[in-house]
Amino acid sequence: MREVVCEKEDIHPGKMRSATLGKIPIVVCRTKDGEFYAFANRCLHQGAPLSEGILCGDTKRTDIHGNYEYIKDGEILRCPWHALEYDIKNDGVMLAEPDKKLRSFQVAIEDDQVVVYK
Amino acid sequence: MPKRRKQRRIIDTDIHERVTYSDLLPYLDNPWRRYIEDNHWVQEKHMPYTQPTVAGVDRADAVTPDGGAAGTDLGFMQKQLLDAEGHEYGILSGALDPSPSSMHGWYEMATALASAYNDWQIENWLEKDSRLYGSVHIAAQEPQQAVREIERVGSHPKMVQILLPIDTRSWGDPYYHPIYEAAERHNLSIGMHHNEPPTHFGGWPRYFIEWHTMLPTAHMIQVSNMVFNGVFDKFPGLHLIMIEGGFTHVPHLMKKMDQQYKELRHEIPWVKRMPSRIIQEHVRFTTQPVEELSQKEFMQFVDQMGSEDMICFATDYPHWDYDSPLEALPKLDEALEEKIYSENARAAYPKLPQPAGSVK
Ligand code: FES
Repeated sequence: MREVVCEKEDIHPGKMRSATLGKIPIVVCRTKDGEFYAFANRCLHQGAPLSEGILCGDTKRTDIHGNYEYIKDGEILRCPWHALEYDIKNDGVMLAEPDKKLRSFQVAIEDDQVVVYK
Repeated sequence: MPKRRKQRRIIDTDIHERVTYSDLLPYLDNPWRRYIEDNHWVQEKHMPYTQPTVAGVDRADAVTPDGGAAGTDLGFMQKQLLDAEGHEYGILSGALDPSPSSMHGWYEMATALASAYNDWQIENWLEKDSRLYGSVHIAAQEPQQAVREIERVGSHPKMVQILLPIDTRSWGDPYYHPIYEAAERHNLSIGMHHNEPPTHFGGWPRYFIEWHTMLPTAHMIQVSNMVFNGVFDKFPGLHLIMIEGGFTHVPHLMKKMDQQYKELRHEIPWVKRMPSRIIQEHVRFTTQPVEELSQKEFMQFVDQMGSEDMICFATDYPHWDYDSPLEALPKLDEALEEKIYSENARAAYPKLPQPAGSVK
């Protein structure tokens, strides 16, 4: 299945939007470096629409108590309800439980259009 | 699409309507009004954390269509919650905190704010949607004034509980007994919703994750305090609803209290039954914020509580830790689901209408 979501320029770097792929609600994210990723628009926890959340960063794991380092800015999709986080550049893996991940879809840019495939 | 549970009858025991100071002004007389309008008074906010979630304490998608704070728009709340999820009733639990720790010593202002809040709630929410029922807000640091407020609005047909603020004095203290007397008189339940700060010792923990994890400890303290101080022996008609502490701590509390009672009951001769019996009869616990539980795990807690009547469903809409009626609980047997999603709450709030044809 193939679906044209929008023009490439309709999603600015660091932004996302909801769409559908056939009957499947999806969220299309664009990272700050301009890459596109698409996932099922449904949180694995209680089903919130992820497109209502934010794209943000993460705090780097550390051995030093009190040490904060901000990484992956714009690459973490955070749920609008209980704030579970998914790493969009890493296959939609849930940060807290890496054995869980969002269903992901292939995205291609064709003639400046964002096209999602299943 | 993942399978979604079929919609069911829901009595939601925790919905937050939110007031702004400008909404409250018409319900305040001077001099109180002037402190807000002319002196720009704002209630001190206590929580020392930056909420590490998407939209502070709220669900990010609950911001109102015109960009207002979540919970301020009845129409939007009806659409996003009551209509969408098929609510039969919702109990409003507010967002005002007139506790001493919020108000320092200015109890007079706390009393005036609580009254204004009640009037605002009745006019703008309770009388505009037949599904919504309300909570009497009181400034409990002045029990006599609090009783006066309960007398003033407690007989409103849509007020079903009194929200008692949590503070340094625990709820079993005879200081609060006039409030319980008034609750019984008006057929109102007592609701505990965690206010700030719920930690008695050591003040605030260092991180929000600690505070949020330990919410049930505040609930455990109040339940044990009320039972051991004989509140339910003295007020046999009193219903207590513990809101937003979850329920998985309850089996431990019941077992522990029973064991203590066997060993130390001579210290509290006014308590005449096993604490677990008293809790089973008088206290109800809301689900939210519920842990992810399998059906087996969920049923183990219910079995250890020795009753299917003690758990009531709550969403905590529109807050970030909202629980979805369709997704938050595992699938349970039909009869138990009926109790948790509606009938236990119907029994816990005697003023809620009973289903047609039932005998109370
Ligand atoms: S629904 Fe996404 S974190 Fe709970």
